[in-house]
Amino acid sequence: MQPDDLTRVLAPKLGENLLGVEAFEGMAGRVRFRREAALDLFRAVRDDLSFAHLSMVGGIDWVDHREVFYVAWSDSARQYVLLSTDVPATDAHVETASAVWPSANWHERETWELVDITFDHHPDLRHLLTPDGYAFHPLLRSFKIHEPEELEVKTRHV
Amino acid sequence: MGGLTAAQAPPAPSPRNPTVDLQLSNELPMATQAAVPFIEIEALRAKEFIPASKEALTSLIAEQGQAKLIRPMFNWSGRNSLFPLHWGLACCAIEFAAAFGARWDAERFGVVARSSPRQADLMIVNGTVTWKVAHKLITLYEQMAEPKWVIAMGNCATGGGPFRTAYSVVPGVDKLVPVDVYIAGCPPRPEALLDGILKLEQLIRERKE
Ligand code: SF4
Repeated sequence: MQPDDLTRVLAPKLGENLLGVEAFEGMAGRVRFRREAALDLFRAVRDDLSFAHLSMVGGIDWVDHREVFYVAWSDSARQYVLLSTDVPATDAHVETASAVWPSANWHERETWELVDITFDHHPDLRHLLTPDGYAFHPLLRSFKIHEPEELEVKTRHV
Repeated sequence: MGGLTAAQAPPAPSPRNPTVDLQLSNELPMATQAAVPFIEIEALRAKEFIPASKEALTSLIAEQGQAKLIRPMFNWSGRNSLFPLHWGLACCAIEFAAAFGARWDAERFGVVARSSPRQADLMIVNGTVTWKVAHKLITLYEQMAEPKWVIAMGNCATGGGPFRTAYSVVPGVDKLVPVDVYIAGCPPRPEALLDGILKLEQLIRERKE
């Protein structure tokens, strides 16, 4: 599958919410989209392009904005596809993919607690790797390494 | 490193070593003469045996004192049947597993890993403790029956190790539960773990209450 094939299927469905499809090494392509069209895109990628398995969700803190990315796998094409969207750092939220790919559930919990990106309508947005009520988002660039004692006080007393 | 030192050092007394067994018999002071009048045990019926033996034990305790008789016996049986909790937290658990394999065979010291905290009296914290697992660790510790001991195995459990400043790691398991023996190393060799268990046996031998 080539980036052109992706564009041909996705462009009619997403319209102007499809920001571009680029070649990406080792994958079918990189699809950049506006977060408003997230659910439409997920459905189209799963049903029309046969990417039935979502293998990861992650977030990147680019300081001025944040990026959410999804990697899906197609058994018939034997290829991955990368989907990514930018969200503003002050209002970092995007629609959950777990209604389309249930495996997104835990990945989104992890992204939420580490990079502070909220997933709307997520069925179970709880801490996954850090304790309940953990006060930090450690993979943000603004996170400072704490002295163990300070971290302990803040972690124990939340 | 542990292997080299163990090979070069003169053979240390092991629990199977006769000298240690001699110390043991010093520690269990028996009456020089019969504390109770001689009972013909064979002549007793089962119903009579229990009161008779109870009476014999009571008078022995009265003569020798609880601290001298019961406590050493208790310590002796406790330290020769240390049952650690069978769990693993991180890479140190691999060495923990190796210590129970054929080559190091921890079972010759009476150390048998148990899968339930109710049956364990030793918690070997073999790996990195994160804040996420901290309260599960405390729950497991509280489920263990008294008397119980804790060994912090490896640098992670001792003080956080290489992850001391990480955002999710408890800097030393002694922040959560009382620790009796610390074993240094990343990871400590199985010899070091066995050495730590023998150190703990030494601690239990000296236990007073
Ligand atoms: S002390 Fe070293 S080997 Fe042991 S758990 Fe920590 S990092 Fe792993």
